Amino acid sequence: MGRRDYEALVIGGGIVGCSVALYLKRHMDKVLILEGEASIIQRASFVNQARVHNGYHYPKSLLTALRSRVNLPRFVSEYPDCIDQSFEKYYAIASHFSDVNVKQFMAFCQRIEAPLEPAPAAIRNLFRSELVEGVFRVQEYAFDAARLREGLLARLRDGGVELRTNCQVTKVLSSASQELEVHYESKGEQNSVVAEYVFNCTYSQLNQILIKSGLPIIPLKQEFAEVALVEVPVTLRHIGVTVMCGPFFSTMPFPARGLHTLSHVRYTPHHSWQDITEHDCRDAAEHLKNAPRRSNYPHMVMDAQRYLPSLRDSRYVDSLWEIKTVLPKSEVDDSRPILFGRDHGLKNFTCILGGKIDNIYDILDELETWRQEGGLGQ
Amino acid sequence: MTTVCDCFVSVLAPVSNDSRIIEDFVAEVMAVLQENFANYELVLVDDGSNDDTVMKVTELLKRYQCIRLIRLSRKFGEEIALSAALDSAIGDFVVLMRPNWDPPQLIPEIVQKAREGTGILFGIRNNREGDGMIIRAGAWLFYLYCEKVLKINLPKNSTQFRVLSRQAVNAIMQIKVRHRYLRTLIAHIGFNTGNFIYRPINRSGRTQTRNLLKVVNLGINIIVNASRHPLRAVSWFGVIAGVLNLLYTGFAVYSYLFGEHVASGWTSLSLQNAAMFFFVFLILTVLSEYIGHILIESEDRPLYYVYEERNSSVLIADQERKNVARNSIEDEFIQPAPRKMVG
Repeated sequence: MGRRDYEALVIGGGIVGCSVALYLKRHMDKVLILEGEASIIQRASFVNQARVHNGYHYPKSLLTALRSRVNLPRFVSEYPDCIDQSFEKYYAIASHFSDVNVKQFMAFCQRIEAPLEPAPAAIRNLFRSELVEGVFRVQEYAFDAARLREGLLARLRDGGVELRTNCQVTKVLSSASQELEVHYESKGEQNSVVAEYVFNCTYSQLNQILIKSGLPIIPLKQEFAEVALVEVPVTLRHIGVTVMCGPFFSTMPFPARGLHTLSHVRYTPHHSWQDITEHDCRDAAEHLKNAPRRSNYPHMVMDAQRYLPSLRDSRYVDSLWEIKTVLPKSEVDDSRPILFGRDHGLKNFTCILGGKIDNIYDILDELETWRQEGGLGQ
Repeated sequence: MTTVCDCFVSVLAPVSNDSRIIEDFVAEVMAVLQENFANYELVLVDDGSNDDTVMKVTELLKRYQCIRLIRLSRKFGEEIALSAALDSAIGDFVVLMRPNWDPPQLIPEIVQKAREGTGILFGIRNNREGDGMIIRAGAWLFYLYCEKVLKINLPKNSTQFRVLSRQAVNAIMQIKVRHRYLRTLIAHIGFNTGNFIYRPINRSGRTQTRNLLKVVNLGINIIVNASRHPLRAVSWFGVIAGVLNLLYTGFAVYSYLFGEHVASGWTSLSLQNAAMFFFVFLILTVLSEYIGHILIESEDRPLYYVYEERNSSVLIADQERKNVARNSIEDEFIQPAPRKMVG
C-alpha cells in the first residue's frame, strides 16, 4: 500500500463540510478539512437568511416540510447557543399571486403538525388588509452564523479534525494505490494529500472542482443572489415576517450583525445560469467577484412596504451577496432535496450539496447508512 | 438633457398576441426608462396570447433588466389584465399603456406632470380616427349622458394611457368589484385628476375599426357599473305606468257602471296594452342588466388566475467574454450607466 495521509478529506468548511468531518472523525483517525477562505462558515453558510426552517416554508413540498420538522429540534439541541429565540415569527398569506390561501395553509400546518395560531390584532394591523389574507404566529428561529462559526471551530479542535484554510483545491485524482490524491494551492505553493475518502462539500464550487479534475459535472442552477441588511423600525425589531407563497418578501433578524435581512423571491436572485454541460459552467467564485453589484434593495423595499407599510422607515445598511446553488429539479416545487453523489467519477469521491442549514442531518443519515453498509472506516 | 428622476416608476402594459410589435415596444420603453429614471420596472401582463408573444418576451427578459412578465391563465380582457398588473406594481407612480397605441416617449413628461400635483393623469387622444359617424355620434351622446345626468366625471375620449400615483393605486386595489372599468373606478376614488392630450401611434400599422356592437356594450357596462340612474329612471316609469293603470281601472269601472257603448273601445284598449307592455319590457330590460351585474359581483371567486411570473435574468458577462479585461466588460454589458440620485 502506498502513502495515505488522511483517511478522509473534506473540501469546503461550510456547515455541511464541518458536520461531515465531525461525523467522520468519530469513526476515523485522521480527517482533514481544506477550506478556501481564511476561516470556516464564510460563504453560503454565513450569507443566507439565517433561518432554521420548521416546515412552514414548504406548503408545496410536504416531504421537505416534514424533514424540516424533524430536523429543527435536532439542530436546536445541538447548537443551543447559536439559536436566536428572542423574536416572534409571523407568516402572512398574500391575497393575490399566492400559491396558497389561508385555508390551505392552515390545513398544511395541521398535516405537518406545526404549531400555528392567528396573530394578535396589533401585529395583524401592521399589514395592509387588501393585500394580506391572514397572519399567523409560528415557531421558527434564526441562527447566529458568527456564533455557529465559533462553536464549530471549538468542536473541530476538540474533536481533533485538522483544518487548513486558504487552500484552493486544484484537482482530485485517483492515485496509483487506488487512493484519492487531492492537489491544492496554498500561499502560492502546490501541495497534495492522499486520502481514502474525499468529500466535495463546496456548494457553488462543486462543478469547478469536477471540471478541474476532469470529472463529469452535476446539473445545477446557480443564482447570483442578494440579501439586503437593514435596520428595521422599532415596531418590527423583535419580529420576523415572511409573506407566502409566491413572489413575496421575508424579513428576519440576522443575529450575526444585529440587523434584519430583507430578501425577496423576485429581487434576491439577480440573474441565474444553469450548469448543464461543461461549456455552460461558470466559475461561481469568479462570477461573484466580478458581477456588478447594483443593489435591488429599492425594488425589495418598494414591494415589501405595500404589504407592511412600516418597512418604509427601514434603513439600508449593506447587502450580502452570494451564489445560491439549487438542484434544477427543485425549481417547480420549492423542495430542497440534498444531493449525495457517492463514487462520483472516482471511487470513494463523494459530492454533497445541501440546500439549507438543517439538511446536515439528512446528510449525516446518508453517511450513517453508508457506514452500516460497510464503508467509511468500518 | 433630461435629469434622472429619483421616483420609482412602474410601466404596466397588457399584451395579447402582440408578437409583431413587442420587441420594438420593449426596446423603446426600456430606453426611455433607463434614460430618465433611477428605479423602474416594466410589467407586461400576457392576456392569454396564443402566438409567440410569450416566447419573445422570455428572450427579452435575458436582454433587459427590470422586466416582469405575468401570464394570466387565459384571456380575461384588457381591464382585468390591468388589474392584475396594478395588484403587482411596486412603483411610486404607475403608467398604464397599450403597446400598440401609446407612445413611450411621453412617459417622463407625464410622470413629471403627475408628480407636480395632479396624482392622476388621463391620456386623451386627439382624434377618433378609425371610428365611423355612428360611433362618434354615440360617443358624444354617451359622454353627454355621463356628464349631465349621471354626474360622473369621465374625461372625454380618454384612453388606457394614464398615470396613477401610489395613493390612487392603493385606493383602487381596495375596490373589489368584478366589472372593472378603470375609468369609472378612477372617477369614483376622486383625488386630483388632470389630463394630457396626445396622438396615438399605431405600431402594428394595421387599421382597426371598432365594432359598433362592442362599443355599445362597453358603454352600457360602464353606465350600469358607475350609476344606478337607469334603474331609478325605470322605477319612475314603473310608478307612472302603475298610476296610469290605476286610473284606467277606475275608468273601466266607471264605464261599466255608467257607460252606454261598452263593447266599443278597441282602440283605447290596444293603446293601453301596447303602452303598458312597452313599460314592462323596458323595466325588465334594465332590471336584467342590474341582476346580471349583481350575479357577477356575488360570485366569490378570484378576478383572474396567474399562470406564472417570469423576471429578468440578465447574465452580465457571458462565457466568450471571460478573457476580456474587467473594465470593458462593464462598459459593454447591460449594466446601466452609474447614475446619481436626485433629490
